[in-house]
Amino acid sequence: MKIIASSFFAAGFSLAAGCAFAQTPAPAGNIENGKKHFASDGCYQCHGANADGAALTGPKLSRTTLPFDAFLMQLRKPSAEMPPYEAPIVSDQTAADIYAFVKSLPASPDAKSLPLLTGMGVK
Amino acid sequence: MKKTGPDQPNVDRRGFLKGVAVAGGAGMAASSVARAQGVAPAARAAAPNAAQQAAEHDHPPEMEALTTEKTGSDFMVDVCKTLSIDYMAACPGSTFRGLQESFINYGQNKKPEWLTCLHEEVSVGMAHGYAKVAGKPMAAMLHGTVGVQHAAMAIYNAWCDRVPMMLFTASAGPVEDRRPGVEWAHSVQDGAVTVRDFTKWDDYPWSLQSFAESTVRAYQLSCAQPPGPVLITADGKLQEMELGKKESAKLKIPKLSMGTQAVADPAALKDAAKMLVAAENPVILVDRYARSQKGVDALVKLAELLQAPVVDNRSRMNFPTQHYLYQSARGGALVGQADCILSLEPVDLFGQLNRVRDQMERTWRSTKKANAKVVCISTHDLMVRANYQDFQRLSEADMNITADAEASMPYLIEAVQREIGENKTKFEARGQKMRDAAKGFNDRARAEGAIGWDSSPISGARLYAELWNQIKNEDWAFMSPNNYSGNWQHRLWPLEKHYQYIGASGGSGVGYEPVAALGAALAHRDAGGRFPVAVIGDGNFNMAPHVMWSAVHHKIPFLGIIQNNRAYHQEVMHIQRMANRHNRAVDSAVIGTVITDPNIDYAMNARSYGAVGIGPISDPKELGEALKKGVAAVKAGNPVLIDVIMQPRG
Repeated sequence: MKIIASSFFAAGFSLAAGCAFAQTPAPAGNIENGKKHFASDGCYQCHGANADGAALTGPKLSRTTLPFDAFLMQLRKPSAEMPPYEAPIVSDQTAADIYAFVKSLPASPDAKSLPLLTGMGVK
Repeated sequence: MKKTGPDQPNVDRRGFLKGVAVAGGAGMAASSVARAQGVAPAARAAAPNAAQQAAEHDHPPEMEALTTEKTGSDFMVDVCKTLSIDYMAACPGSTFRGLQESFINYGQNKKPEWLTCLHEEVSVGMAHGYAKVAGKPMAAMLHGTVGVQHAAMAIYNAWCDRVPMMLFTASAGPVEDRRPGVEWAHSVQDGAVTVRDFTKWDDYPWSLQSFAESTVRAYQLSCAQPPGPVLITADGKLQEMELGKKESAKLKIPKLSMGTQAVADPAALKDAAKMLVAAENPVILVDRYARSQKGVDALVKLAELLQAPVVDNRSRMNFPTQHYLYQSARGGALVGQADCILSLEPVDLFGQLNRVRDQMERTWRSTKKANAKVVCISTHDLMVRANYQDFQRLSEADMNITADAEASMPYLIEAVQREIGENKTKFEARGQKMRDAAKGFNDRARAEGAIGWDSSPISGARLYAELWNQIKNEDWAFMSPNNYSGNWQHRLWPLEKHYQYIGASGGSGVGYEPVAALGAALAHRDAGGRFPVAVIGDGNFNMAPHVMWSAVHHKIPFLGIIQNNRAYHQEVMHIQRMANRHNRAVDSAVIGTVITDPNIDYAMNARSYGAVGIGPISDPKELGEALKKGVAAVKAGNPVLIDVIMQPRG
């Protein structure tokens, strides 16, 4: 099924959200360094240049509500199709920096405030 | 051809005469060059003396006929004119020079009209897009050997996508008639072998009568479900041979007789109807099903009878996207819950019902319930070859009904109606559930569309919302597959008419998007009053940017939007996956995959071909105005290309 097959890199971040994790505080992250690695390490490829997600490849990460432990777990041992990012290539600290970056991003507008969108898809 | 002796100047008189007769302009140009170089023409190509002339001819040279009124190629045109072929697309090639001249002069360049393409992949790709809109084949002419090689990938796409088209190629004829050099390189014993694995039928007719019969047969076969490309080789000698009245009178062009399509066994349809009516949670999966509005309407009727959800895999425009039974957004869940699955013309039944994980260990699992019944109506098994693996993995169906699903649909509907009997309200509760679910789809699509609304690069949802705002009052038709920009056209737009969407390439051969759009736009132009629009990946566009020239030259207006993520982004992701898997250099996936440094100016590129070019647009706030200008230019009759800098994926 294309809906499945096209979810080629459907990152499992959203799946991990349902798991129970001890919510240990995230290590202090460097937002600027996180932004740099979000681009250079390929996160943008599936989750979008601004971590807004893409319908068929990866969920939205901006302002993620995932606890850091779950974020890190998904990075290391991803469910579904996401490629793994193990410690030799993304350290815990770099992961924390990326986490800090995506948490820091601005909120998207409410769809109801966008006339172009609200006027579409009327049944 | 007579041989010249070693003591004689190496002048091929017959070739010389042919060359002058056919390419007088080239001959004059050569003389001009010789003059410019201060070389006497006689020193470069000495005119043959009487002895040489005598040695080359079986008769005195003054008796040689150099012109004629009718040739075999004229008759070939007569044959093609009996078929419903409106266009012949071609990149020039000397192996079909006789035919080309006959089409444009003897045939008066009408039905078919000759279209100039700048690569054979465009000729074939145009035919691909055209057929999916016009519902009939157009033709492409391919140069002997090299032209077929250029065309091969586009033919493969058409094969995989089950699209009819008439392909012609040529060969220079028997050895004694070939000029040395190029004519040999462009001659072939079996030219079709290059593409035989992915054409439905081919032939190399050795007489004009044979050409007539083979060409008519090829057309019929190409259109029979499942359709596909067919290839006829027009022999060079047959093309250029003189055709006297006596010989001409003996030739007969067979009547075109289009066959009816294969309809399912009534007993099988009855069993299928029983299973569907008895099911608690039926689901209809549809893929390469509808080839007409009739097919769309019939599927709506079946779905409404059963109040069954439809999950569309989008290889064609199968079902109205705003209908409450269009439930593709939760296709995975519906398959998982279903107790009876009806699959109509699946491209990949296994892929519909299973999931394969792309990790170190390739694991797969079924996504349906173990006891769910699967009924498949498809022509898939009627066109399977051994070599290329587009047939996909074998999947177990409880009922595998080999038939054309669209042609069989009225009979399936009748069978379902009989099974339902008088209990017309039997499935009302299920229908209400579907209505409730459908309301949520729109809200969810809008909510997801708002994410990254103001982002630069521009999001897929923003592009499709802005685009819709500009074309919603037109009789629009979308001509792209566009999995790579989030399928927003299916999530946000009301697709209702069959011609509003034409599906994907079939074989995933990169380059399909611009060339199929050009062919589809041609068919939309001829249909009158439609507004054709395509969103084309930058990687795809770079395979054939010169489609813009053909569009301008032949006055085929359309709005092309470059979804410019400056990469072969699917490949970026593949390399990233490999680097991650190997735990090394995760920042190097861009090597060999991105299209930057320098960035390509697609608007300038379009302008260089004579089209209207707009962009690049990277600020979403400027997008609406750019699209508005583009729409106005298309309505004024122009091909337009707008370069939009977009997110890697929509």
